[in-house]
This record gives sequence, structure tokens and C-alpha cells, in this order.
Amino acid sequence: MPNPSFMNGVPELLVLRTLEAKEMYGYELVQAIRARTNQAITLGEGVVYPALHALEAVGMLKSRRKLVNGRTRVYYALTKKGEKHLAGLVRHWQHITDAIGLAIGGTAHAAIAL
Amino acid sequence: MLQSRFDRLSERLLTAGIVPRHVRRYCRELGDHFDDLVREEKAGGATRELAETRALARLGKDDTLADAMLSRPELRSFMARYPWAVFGLGPIALLALSVMGGLYLEFWLLNHSGGIFRLWTGQGPGPVNAKLATEVYTVYNTLIVYGGPLLFAWALYWLGSRQRIPMAWTITGVAIVCVLGGFQDIIFYDTGCRGCGHLIVHSDLVPPFQHFAQHLTRAALNLAIAGGVWWFKVKRRTSHALALSRAA
Repeated sequence: MPNPSFMNGVPELLVLRTLEAKEMYGYELVQAIRARTNQAITLGEGVVYPALHALEAVGMLKSRRKLVNGRTRVYYALTKKGEKHLAGLVRHWQHITDAIGLAIGGTAHAAIAL
Repeated sequence: MLQSRFDRLSERLLTAGIVPRHVRRYCRELGDHFDDLVREEKAGGATRELAETRALARLGKDDTLADAMLSRPELRSFMARYPWAVFGLGPIALLALSVMGGLYLEFWLLNHSGGIFRLWTGQGPGPVNAKLATEVYTVYNTLIVYGGPLLFAWALYWLGSRQRIPMAWTITGVAIVCVLGGFQDIIFYDTGCRGCGHLIVHSDLVPPFQHFAQHLTRAALNLAIAGGVWWFKVKRRTSHALALSRAA
């Protein structure tokens, strides 16, 4: 889906939604997003980190270092603030997908189920 | 190749004002991600060379990786956003704080010196000990007045070079701290009575300019020392870069 302006806010939504279930490190998170979107949304994999850093800087994510198989990984997890923000984002995108559903002639039934 | 690519990315992000902590972590995470991608591609049957080429493509182009970070204003450092505050107002605040901190400590010591001495030796302070205390205060004041500005100049230089702040800002900050610091004084006079004395703080940049020439000399000395250290560091860095390029 190569449409940068339309994709504004999508990385945050995908990251927060994916981290809702469990803490993950960058590579693991990218693979999870690919799997959950049936590879319909493919981002340059490296660009996930600025999104993670920014979300952490505003308190929506927290990170910790963890030693896994002899390598130190930075694991990211959702905070309470992140959970609230995610709920708002889901509502917002639900509204957009409903509107697009109506615009293309169908019914407003699309649901965000990543 | 990958390391030099990350070095270039790191330099670009630092120059644009991204917080060094985020830059270091970003490059480390990209390196780890690259290793994971190579492993994944190799597990899928690719040769090492092909796996690395594919991993680099999946990671993203240099411009994409840099732009993703640069489009996040929350990752820019305070210093990069407000250099005038750090290098313009910062030196004044630092000098004022160092003088106030020094004064506060000396006030406290003056008020409690008798008690502390009694607790330590079991007897009250005599004239000889008062003389010693005056000497201690003088040494302490000298350190604040002479050492403080140079220490702050070094701190500003270190911060500026670490975050790749434009040279003009760093020079401004160092110059302010050297000049203002050169004109400040803290003097303690023993008045002869037990547990008391006179503490005088002043700057010769305001009237009556009693020792203006002396303070001007000190400011010039501060600037000369700071400039000398700077010149030495730049020279060392240049010769190091030359040696590296020759080795390459």
C-alpha cells in the first residue's frame, strides 16, 4: 500500500495494536505486523524503530533490555497511556473504514481486526 | 560496509539534532535487525551475499531510515531545538548557580563552624583555627571563581560537539562563560569575631569598576585557555582523521 499521506498514523496503530498482546523486540514486531496484515502493509522494516522511540518518548510504550540467546534485545511493551491512545486510534480508524465502506458502495461493516 | 553506512546515518541524525541516546539505540537496533533478516534469508536458502543484499533492501534505503527519524520532533534534543537557551542563557545561569551554591555552603559553614569544630575536637575554635578557616574559604572561593568558568566552558564544548551543534553557538556559550566568569569575584573577610565574617560577591562588569583591568586580564586568560584546549582538540581530531584516511 504505497500511499504515504494516507498511511499517516498507520504505523502507530499497527505497532500499538500488535504490542497490546505481548512485549516484543523490533524484528519480532515487524514479522507479527506482516503476518497480521497478510503482508498487505509492508513498511521499510527499519522505519519501525523511529515509531517505537517516538511512542516511548511520549509515554505510550516502555522498553527494557533483555538477554535472549546471548544477544541483548530491546523489548517494547504498551503502557496504560498507550492502551488509552490505542482505543482512540481504533475508534478513529473504525470511523474512516466505515466511511470508505459507504463511499465505495457497500455498507459500513468493516472492522479493525488486526 | 554496514558499519560505515550506520556511521553516516548516525552523523546525519546527530547533525540534525536527534538525541544521541536515540541515535545510538537506533543504529544498534538496525544492526540487530539486519542480522535477523540475514539469518531468515539464509534459512530460506539464499547464499550469504544474496541474503545480505535482500536484508539491506528490506531494512530500507539510507534516506528512508533517516527521514523516518527526522520526521519525529519529539526525538530532537532540547539543545538542538533551543540552542539560544543552552548557549546563551545557560552560561549565565550556570555561573549564577555556582556562585549561589558556593555562598550558600559558606553561609552554612559560617553558621555551624563553631558547632562542627566542637563536635570534632571537643573544644571551641580559637583564633588560630579561625585563620585556618579563612584560608579554607579563600581556597574554595578561588576554585569557584577561577575553576568554575573553565569547567563550564569545557562542559559547553563537550555538549556542543556531542550533539553536533553549530560551532557558532558553542563559541558563543564558551565566550560568555569565560568573560562573565572572568569578571566575577567571591571574597571572604574574617572580621575577628567567632563564627562570623564578611562574604562579598560582585561582578566588575557593573560600576564602580574598581579592578576592571585585572578582571579583563582574567577574562582574556579564560578565553586563551579555552581557545588553546579547543585548538589542541581540533588539531588532534584532524591528525586522527588523516591517519585513518591514510590507513584506508
